[in-house]
Amino acid sequence: MSEDQTVKGEEMETSEVPVTDTQETATVIEHADLVDDHDDHGDHHSSLGVSNMKLAMWLFLGSECLLFAALISTYLLSKANFITELVAGNPTVVASMQKFKDFAPEKYAEMLEKQSVEPIFDIPFTSASSFILLMSSLTMVLSHKAISNGDYRNTRVWLAATAFLGSIFLAGQVYEFSIFFSEGITFNGSLFGSAFYTLTGFHGIHVTGGVIMLLALLILSLRGKLQRDRAETVELVGLYWHFVDIVWVLIFTIVYLIP
Amino acid sequence: MNFSKSHSRKFITSAGLALVLASCAEDKPLNTFEPAGPKAQTIYDLMTPLVWIIMAIIFVLVVGGTLLIVVKGRVTEDEYNPDELPAQIHGNTKLEWGWTIAPFLLLAALSFPMVQSIWELEGKNAEGELDVMVIGQQWWWEYRYDVDGDGFFRDGNGDGVVDEKDEELPLEISLDRDDVVTATELVIPTDEQVDLTIASRDVIHSFWIPRLNGKRDAVPGRLHTWSVQADEPGKYTGWCTEFCGLSHARMRMSTIALAPEQFEAWLENQANPAEVPTDTSALAGREIFAQNCVSCHVVREAGDAPEGVTAIAYAEDFVAPLDSGAAPDLTHFATRSSFAGGIYGVYVGDLGDPNDDALDAGDYLALSQLAETQDSGYRFNSPELKRWVANASSRKDMDPDSLQGMPSFNQLTEEQLDDVVSYLQSLD
Amino acid sequence: MSENLPAAETTSGSPVSLGAWARPRNPKGILDWLTTVDHKKIGIMYGAAALFFLIIGGAAALLIRLQLAVPADSPEDAIFSGDTYNRIFTMHGTVMIFLVVMPIGAAFANYLIPLMIGARDVAFPRINAFSFWVFLVGGIMLNTSWFLGGSPNGGWFNYAPNTGVTFNPDVGIDYWNIALILTGIGSLTGAINLITTILNMRAPGMTFMRMPVFIWMSLVTQFLLLFAIPVLTVAQVLLMMDRTFDANFFNTTMGGDPLLWQHLFWIFGHPEVYLMILPAFGIVSEVIPAFARKPIFGYPFMVFSGIAIGFMGFGVWAHHMFVSGLGPLSVTAFAVATMFIAVPTGVKVLNWVATMWGGKIILNTAMLFAIGLVTQFTVGGLSGVSHAFASSDTQQTDTYYIVAHFHYVLFGGALFGFMAGFYFWWPKIFGYKLSESIGKANFWLMVIGFNLTFGPMHVLGLQGMPRRMDSYSSVQGFTFWNQVASFGSLILAIGTLLVLHNAFASHRKWVAAGRPNVGADPWDARTLEWMIQSPAPTHNFDTTPTVTGLDELWRRKFNKDEDGNWERVASGDELAQPGNGKGVHLPAPSYWPLALALSMVPIAYGLVYSLWLTIPGAIMLMASMFGWALEPADDLDAPDDHHLEGASA
Repeated sequence: MSEDQTVKGEEMETSEVPVTDTQETATVIEHADLVDDHDDHGDHHSSLGVSNMKLAMWLFLGSECLLFAALISTYLLSKANFITELVAGNPTVVASMQKFKDFAPEKYAEMLEKQSVEPIFDIPFTSASSFILLMSSLTMVLSHKAISNGDYRNTRVWLAATAFLGSIFLAGQVYEFSIFFSEGITFNGSLFGSAFYTLTGFHGIHVTGGVIMLLALLILSLRGKLQRDRAETVELVGLYWHFVDIVWVLIFTIVYLIP
Repeated sequence: MNFSKSHSRKFITSAGLALVLASCAEDKPLNTFEPAGPKAQTIYDLMTPLVWIIMAIIFVLVVGGTLLIVVKGRVTEDEYNPDELPAQIHGNTKLEWGWTIAPFLLLAALSFPMVQSIWELEGKNAEGELDVMVIGQQWWWEYRYDVDGDGFFRDGNGDGVVDEKDEELPLEISLDRDDVVTATELVIPTDEQVDLTIASRDVIHSFWIPRLNGKRDAVPGRLHTWSVQADEPGKYTGWCTEFCGLSHARMRMSTIALAPEQFEAWLENQANPAEVPTDTSALAGREIFAQNCVSCHVVREAGDAPEGVTAIAYAEDFVAPLDSGAAPDLTHFATRSSFAGGIYGVYVGDLGDPNDDALDAGDYLALSQLAETQDSGYRFNSPELKRWVANASSRKDMDPDSLQGMPSFNQLTEEQLDDVVSYLQSLD
Repeated sequence: MSENLPAAETTSGSPVSLGAWARPRNPKGILDWLTTVDHKKIGIMYGAAALFFLIIGGAAALLIRLQLAVPADSPEDAIFSGDTYNRIFTMHGTVMIFLVVMPIGAAFANYLIPLMIGARDVAFPRINAFSFWVFLVGGIMLNTSWFLGGSPNGGWFNYAPNTGVTFNPDVGIDYWNIALILTGIGSLTGAINLITTILNMRAPGMTFMRMPVFIWMSLVTQFLLLFAIPVLTVAQVLLMMDRTFDANFFNTTMGGDPLLWQHLFWIFGHPEVYLMILPAFGIVSEVIPAFARKPIFGYPFMVFSGIAIGFMGFGVWAHHMFVSGLGPLSVTAFAVATMFIAVPTGVKVLNWVATMWGGKIILNTAMLFAIGLVTQFTVGGLSGVSHAFASSDTQQTDTYYIVAHFHYVLFGGALFGFMAGFYFWWPKIFGYKLSESIGKANFWLMVIGFNLTFGPMHVLGLQGMPRRMDSYSSVQGFTFWNQVASFGSLILAIGTLLVLHNAFASHRKWVAAGRPNVGADPWDARTLEWMIQSPAPTHNFDTTPTVTGLDELWRRKFNKDEDGNWERVASGDELAQPGNGKGVHLPAPSYWPLALALSMVPIAYGLVYSLWLTIPGAIMLMASMFGWALEPADDLDAPDDHHLEGASA
């Protein structure tokens, strides 16, 4: 980040630091870096050739992978025990179903077949909202392309479009939650409820954060503060946005499509 | 202490650590270096030559080598010349590959017997004749014997078949009318593998009798298979080894191995229902018990109670008002040698301490008769039982307000406490 | 995410873009420490906080040893009740791991990484400050539980369902959960920051294979944090959902599975073990070459074994669960994997020994502690291999044998390494050497006390004494060795406190002598941080050095003549930079990292007591993020060298 910059080009040029022979080369190299590379203004030095911010974003997303991996694993591990809650949502019956699993596996398997999670999901509806979220990745790419070309009008259009599509997805999720809730699937009423709302809710929070970032970029752009030399900021938000989309593809497949 | 000669010889041949342990092994009831059954023996035989000795050799080589190098290479402040350098060696690829591959090969070789032992121990788990269900709860163990041999421990309604009606009753609830239910002491026949099904009613516990086998967790919602076998009659103590809350340190248990014919006699007695006592004090104690204790504790009685005596009856879906839903079954309380999670003796005297392994297995069946004889050396532990009934939480950390453990009954008078204790003594 | 907003805002060329408040100017005294973004000051604060928590954790350890010094046949014979004891041992473990060993590692990483790679600061100085403050908020919050309704009592491993609201209704577990989520946030942001720093801010010429081993080990450590912390956070969030919002993840009557907690916790927990020990490995890999006066033996093997440990550390978590009923197939797979993780660790030990072999060994305190690590850690490593024998682990797990094992690894390993690091880098950090005579006493008391305390625990464990026991019976045969351990713990405590005494005593002596300059390179050492003055000037390097190989400073000091003999061409002080960085512009201090961390306080307590409290917390959080984002990039009115007043020393 620029505010964290440690050495400024101009000041180095006018500095009166006594340099010993061995160190002179280093200083010169450093200068060249700074003068040539305006995009990397904030970093006095970049060993890998990527900016610190971009590297940090990749690392952050790497960490996020593990977060979602843990959440998805939780969902999958719990999945074997879901069916019972959807049958009744009644703790006593649920408890007895659990015992069937231990003591009379054939009977348990038979009961499983009768009941299934799938009817609960409205696959066409969620497919549509997933498609909308995927489309927003496209508009995100377009906005980055626009700002790289210095086309500020289109940058704003595509940023707004991305935020709008993201909001549609969120609205769809809220609608879906309310339907589920009205059908008696509550957060604390069953293991399925806990696991489903936690996993998709965590993703929803990530989308919300993304929409806020997009809107912030839009406001900056409207105030004329998102210039071409800040294209990387748009790219970083884009990275995050694409990550959130990819995670949704995984969640959609695992939660909705795999029986 | 069953410290056999062949074991002594093994100890002497074992190096280092094993020697230290063996030399002070006499009074260690939980010693893992004194196996008393084939499973513990298998583990011991794996570890002693392969692990302890090899590790000791590596330890001596590495640490000894390090100290030797340090002592040899040491320069004092006077000798130190900052401009004089030792030979600057950056490495030796062959050597380094050598000490990467050599430990790899050593460990690969060791992993064969290791893997073999895992499968050997696991594979034997379901081969025994006798099935016992071991159920952990805060902070004691319950044992259910599958006496009728139907493979189930939960014939809830006592009709001899496990049907849907039984299944609808969760584990916490069922009162088994024909299988034997006991607590704290797992009684087994010698020279026979006993298969255990380990379960839990609340949090995670772990069942461990070190001299008979390793440990296995009792996880709520899961059933784990395990087994024990003892070569000699005697008492083998154990301890819950998974942290299970407030009184984890006082959740102990023991396994009592009896000669097969003695075990049969024990089992037959346990399958009988309790009798209504005839002694006045015990009968008065039974009344107090029927008013205060039956909300948690079970005493199975046969048929209707005699006239003028409060009947003790339990609903089929009886659940104790506790987090675990169960308190120890007291039907044959006076046949046990310890109570309160194995920390206090039901009998005292020649028996030794309940945490000790000093118990004459031959006397185990006759404890209640012996205690009534003046000079037998055994006495019923009335003082401790009275303290326990009056205020259990002062004798073992418990939290009855959160439904974890036994509430205090200090409203009972001294005489009433005596009556309750003599009722308990009558339950043999 | 807020971090990218100011970038958008301060477009290059527009010099003044002031937010609501300017950055603090020339803060003095306490305000200087509260607003600093200097990696060195943050490193010192990490170290100071960790030593403070070490005293708390150490006091808890002594109380444990006090309780176990005498058997208790009934609760009336015991010194503490079971409840108190459970809280003490839980806090001992939690504090020592999360608030002592991890932050000491962070202290060394923060202070040393920029110096050893020749950078001006870390990549994101404000985030660095935030990482520290949020860690401190979490650590203090955890310890306030002693006074506010009881500290956690579920063990540091916090196994569900014992920690569920049914079995554990009081707030201690909530404190544990939420405080550790906070320290986790600190670790995670710190990891991103330090990895970026190492990967991207190395001095010219410092390729990956020229980085000091300490930097490599720090890099692996930070990657372990990056990938392990989110898994712990998920586990804690699930437990929080269960406790606060009545979810069912660990509720067995609703189909929840308690083993889920164990899997998630140990997927975090095993990398955790390595990320605690690797910084210490890095430290001794610097100390041993410096005092054996030889380069590290087999540098590539040291590096790749560290990386191998990092990777394998994620694949062996279930060896903590051999008795949980995983089934023989899983047990076999994890047992075999666990055996082989001993290989890279063994390579490291042998390479250290080979580094000392044929060297001219200067046995000062730092070197003694480094040798202490090599020998004591070997004991812990070997007992670790014995756990890999899964069938025998069913006898050992959850006994004092395990307690002995991990104290040999964490105390004899990590803490001895950290002590070596303190004695080695103290002159660089504070400008004076620690006393050698007190240091030797410090070492010998610690090593004797340590072995007296934890050695007997091997015996106790194999004789069948389980862990987490508030008492044992007088007839179980555990009394003698427990008393030896309790006696040893006193010696160990005195030994450990000597390092603090040494710091103060040596400082007094130094001040009395008129603060003599210790010199840039007091140990005739090898790496870049010894090229700058001691204590390190605020701006680190006057000019960034160009690196031509491993051990850059050493290469500048010695040259090989035609006969192949090494001769000195310069002394460290001749090569040292003068430390007058006039014209160097440093990142200005900021209020917002602290403000953002403090906004976590109402949120955290709100999650424990009342969700209403989270609302003011959220408002504070938003305000801090805005302040952070809108803060001007730098205080442009300030003179160029306004941070350099202390640097001319």
